[in-house]
Amino acid sequence: MTVYLLAPTSLRVAPDDFPARVRARFASELRRAGRFAQLCLLGAQACLDAAGGDGPLAVLWASELGALHATRAALDEDLARGEPAMPFTFIATQPHLAGALLAQRSHPVTRTACLYLPADAWPSLLRLAQRWLAECDRVLVGCVEESGSGGVAHRSDWCLFRKKPAAGALRCERSPRPENAAGATAEDWIPRVAAWRGAAPLLLRGGEDAWSFAFDG
Amino acid sequence: MTGTFVRAAALASALGPDLESAVERLAGAPVAPAQNTKIGGPWPYFAIPISGKNWRERAEAIARSVAEDLRRAAAIAPARWAALPCIVGSSSFSVGAWDEGGWEALEPSFEFSRRLARCFGVHGPVTGVSTTCTSGLSALDIALGLVAGGEFRDALVLGAEFCNRLTVAGFAGLELLSATAARPCDRERDGLVLGEALAAVLVSAAPSPWRIAALATGMDAASVTGPAADGSVIASAMRAALAGACWKSAAVDLIKLQSGGGPLADSAEANAVRELFAPVPRVVSLKGALGHTLGASGPAELALLLASLARGCVPATWGFAEPDGELGLAPSGGDAEGVHRVLFNLSGFGGSVMSLALEKAG
Repeated sequence: MTVYLLAPTSLRVAPDDFPARVRARFASELRRAGRFAQLCLLGAQACLDAAGGDGPLAVLWASELGALHATRAALDEDLARGEPAMPFTFIATQPHLAGALLAQRSHPVTRTACLYLPADAWPSLLRLAQRWLAECDRVLVGCVEESGSGGVAHRSDWCLFRKKPAAGALRCERSPRPENAAGATAEDWIPRVAAWRGAAPLLLRGGEDAWSFAFDG
Repeated sequence: MTGTFVRAAALASALGPDLESAVERLAGAPVAPAQNTKIGGPWPYFAIPISGKNWRERAEAIARSVAEDLRRAAAIAPARWAALPCIVGSSSFSVGAWDEGGWEALEPSFEFSRRLARCFGVHGPVTGVSTTCTSGLSALDIALGLVAGGEFRDALVLGAEFCNRLTVAGFAGLELLSATAARPCDRERDGLVLGEALAAVLVSAAPSPWRIAALATGMDAASVTGPAADGSVIASAMRAALAGACWKSAAVDLIKLQSGGGPLADSAEANAVRELFAPVPRVVSLKGALGHTLGASGPAELALLLASLARGCVPATWGFAEPDGELGLAPSGGDAEGVHRVLFNLSGFGGSVMSLALEKAG
């Protein structure tokens, strides 16, 4: 099944710059959401802004570590003191929160899931998005990772899949020849798609699964 | 009959270390959960009666025990078993390891999912999924896609929720816990009681007694902790499940309620049920017996319900005595004769709402 990819969006934000970036984009709207959800929304909203369009939306994103900061806060600050967890801190430990927050921003979200996947299993997201497209016109797909240390940027990469062609969309298909594809990971497959300008299809592989991305027409 | 079927299920829960003992115990007199101060505070807690040297070894012991039961029930060839994909749904994964070992004992959720898959002896692709309390049904949803799409003939779904202080502290902080007991639909209910469970469900393209006729999802973002009071999104999900299964509402013989114990969420679900069904069919809740097993609750309640029905019994709703007039729902157990179509509701924090339609095949 061919699907169409729009607005590949790659965000890298230094931890020190992150609070200001969130405030600049969302004012105080997400102040209690926790860093992981903020990071998800920063990238997802940028992707949706770039893709345009409207209509029902499914949201699917993956992470290796999930809501690292909120989990640390709940464990080290609340539990270590023997106190009940602060409600917003506890809720922020759930990576799925980002889906609800997107829906609250007037996007008609029909279904969401946050997956935990290893770095080379990103094609699982595409296969699941393909299946969801049978029931929904648009699926927003992301790979999100909070930085665990000051020197590493937070990342939030997103793209929008549609089942119908659209101006500027890349045609996206599972490739029968993984041996010809370049290896990619959760960290770089969306940036590589975003940077692709070639006439020939871009072939990327994760695990044993390969996908081709080509300009439509 | 074609489609995707529940080929086998297994469960470790507070009702017992295996599904057979759980069904037997559920058929008897209600047993109140013990208070478990180990998990932080004097809250009642439904714990699995399996011990281990430490948190991780206990989780692995539980997983191996459930795996053995499932393997026996599934009766599939070793090579086919080994190739199974495994989708793990949980809201907490291995966070309980922190209670004993601090940060060093924690492992990423995917690694913990892979650890559980290894305990089951399966080596196909592993996926962890987190959608709060619907995580286990989200895992089932992914598995159904793998089978329906022809990628796999069978798929293993795990719902895993193991004892941990963070979850208890979180629900205590939200003031959602009952200090006494879980009383689904009862007018005296005063919150939820948490529990742990590891449930395994093997779904298959091969015909089995229960077919999954439809699984519908919805997103209710009225609040991050609960649904809209009118239950409109829950009603939409149930309506979509009915449509997916090609059933009229009158065809439903039994509704397994989410009945999580939160006042707003219970009321929303009741509103949705009453909107779609007149008269309301028989309803049941399993949280009085299992506790609220959060991310495991979908597979855990599915396993327990289908095993009870296989024994010809709709389980009693433990903790229910007097109906709450505002909810207007009165769970009733008893003979399962005539129960052919079941609607199975689940919802959770973060707005996730799911409704599963199950049909007796043949």
